[in-house]
Amino acid sequence: MYLRFLKVAWRNLLRNKRRTLIAGIAIGIGLASLIFTDAVIIGMSDGLVRSATSSWMGDLQIHNQNFSRSMSAELTIERPDSVLSSLASDPRVKNYTRRVVAQGMLSSAADMSMVALYGIDPSRERSVSMLDEAMVEGSYVGGESHLVIGVDLADQLDVELGDRVVVTISMAGTGDLYQEMLRVGGLYRFGSAEFDKTTAFVSLEKAQSMLGLSGVHEIAVDYRGAEHWRSAPEEEIAHLAESGNVVESWVELLPQLQVMFEMSDLSTLIVGVVLFGIVIFGIINTLFMSIYERMFEFGVLKAIGTRATDVAKLMLMEAAWLGLLSIVLGSVLGLGLNLLFAEIGIDYTGIETAGVTFREPIYTISTANQFIKYPIIVFFVTLIVGVYPAVHAARLKPADAMRKSL
Amino acid sequence: MQAVIKTENLHKTYDDDGVPVHAVRGVDLEIHGGEFTALVGPSGSGKTTLLNMMAGLDTPSKGQAFLEDKSIGRMSGRELSDFRRDKIGFIFQAYNLIPVLTTAENVEYVMLLQGVSAEERRKRVEEMLEDVGLEDYIDTLPSKLSGGQQQRVAIARAMAAKPSLVMADEPTANLDSETSGELLDMMRELNRSTGMTFLFSTHDEIVMERATRVVILRDGRIAEDERKA
Repeated sequence: MYLRFLKVAWRNLLRNKRRTLIAGIAIGIGLASLIFTDAVIIGMSDGLVRSATSSWMGDLQIHNQNFSRSMSAELTIERPDSVLSSLASDPRVKNYTRRVVAQGMLSSAADMSMVALYGIDPSRERSVSMLDEAMVEGSYVGGESHLVIGVDLADQLDVELGDRVVVTISMAGTGDLYQEMLRVGGLYRFGSAEFDKTTAFVSLEKAQSMLGLSGVHEIAVDYRGAEHWRSAPEEEIAHLAESGNVVESWVELLPQLQVMFEMSDLSTLIVGVVLFGIVIFGIINTLFMSIYERMFEFGVLKAIGTRATDVAKLMLMEAAWLGLLSIVLGSVLGLGLNLLFAEIGIDYTGIETAGVTFREPIYTISTANQFIKYPIIVFFVTLIVGVYPAVHAARLKPADAMRKSL
Repeated sequence: MQAVIKTENLHKTYDDDGVPVHAVRGVDLEIHGGEFTALVGPSGSGKTTLLNMMAGLDTPSKGQAFLEDKSIGRMSGRELSDFRRDKIGFIFQAYNLIPVLTTAENVEYVMLLQGVSAEERRKRVEEMLEDVGLEDYIDTLPSKLSGGQQQRVAIARAMAAKPSLVMADEPTANLDSETSGELLDMMRELNRSTGMTFLFSTHDEIVMERATRVVILRDGRIAEDERKA
């Protein structure tokens, strides 16, 4: 009997094809919006992480365990050879680069500014960060007195390519001040105002000689699959740090991203609630329209012996078919949108969010979850919402329903 | 002869914006097995209300209706559904077939609710459609049938489930006189051959001519009750 009821319910749904199609499309658009929103948020999160990590920071950073607290120049990475050997043998490590970091001051004839002066290995740095791609004028890091600064910092100091600036830093161990005149050899722009105004680069050897040390303060690592981390992968990466050092992922280095992701999840939830609200009223309206149009028919069905529970089941089956039709339409539409925007992207380049500047368009990312979880939710919401009109239909008194009955 | 259906002092009063409307006023009526009864009366005489209460589609304000000595008023909603499914076959004025079901599926529907086996259903559907002359329209949807053909399907549906009583509300009201005559003759023949009881509400002369008993209702009361020889 259930099979027959399913057949009857399906045929009933097709009695008013236009209304069913409109209702199905409306619910389907709700589902497609949810799928697309989720795909955009995942794409945005991954893009944001990639922009943050690939532009400068790297997926992981290794420091002396006390370095972050005091930033003292002498706190270099412990047993660097062993750390480098661990990195070289880990198949998930794509690339890594060593850096020296010093807090200092840049002075020009016009102004002065506090900066973080990085000494970098120019060739290895290319494989981890995008400093070379961020160059807008002059040349990339290299050479004895070659200094690379941000365009914004150059404006502040009122210097151009070829101008000289004085670098003042505190030397390792003694804390003596060291000053040297360097020439502005290159200008970069990452797009993050704070970074571009406060960060300058020289070669690794130059920074080491200015500070009077042979070690490094930081190793930035490009690590496979890091963009999918949403919580600190402490155990996964702990083996990369020797005793006395600390390894931190971007999750810990950019806590603001974590907050943003949580807000994104909340946004998806709000979008979902609003969309489902619309969908719910759409379903109720469709099913009630169907009931009112067939009032006499329900009266007849009950008069000839259909039990109230069977009438309710029939209406629920109609709701189920409507749900199935809607999730097919919605999933196809959602997949189409996801595939389209995975190809063309949504251009957010240059826009700064949570201190990170998008360096690439947002490309939607489809997941199996979007096409399993959301359609299942839509189906069950349709069924649950269908209970109200089903109960209404079941409670109809045959004589009332038929108006002019026997 | 035992009464298939019986009413005792049946009343129905409606509330029409605070004004009581007495549709049925103390009807005592017994319909016996094998009768072919016409319940006749002008519009507003209470025949539809009376039939509704006898079928358990409406509840009386006072009095009781019994089907095979079982009080309809004491049945639960589920019992009433099952009672209508098993004991009463309905034929409506506007045919009221299920539009999404084919001729055979419409005839089969009540048997499906009764839990009759698929083989038995198929056999009875074939027999009934042959009896009403629609054996060539098994897979036709109601919208493709004429009014007379739809009413034939409705008759087949009402009788296929082998009820104790077939109730028909103005079954000829939407049909021309020739078709009405044919259908009435067919029902009378089924009444004779199967012994099934028929109760009509009508003001059609064609029905009255063929009825073995004519009950005339006036202002909610039985005015005349004539049995033909």
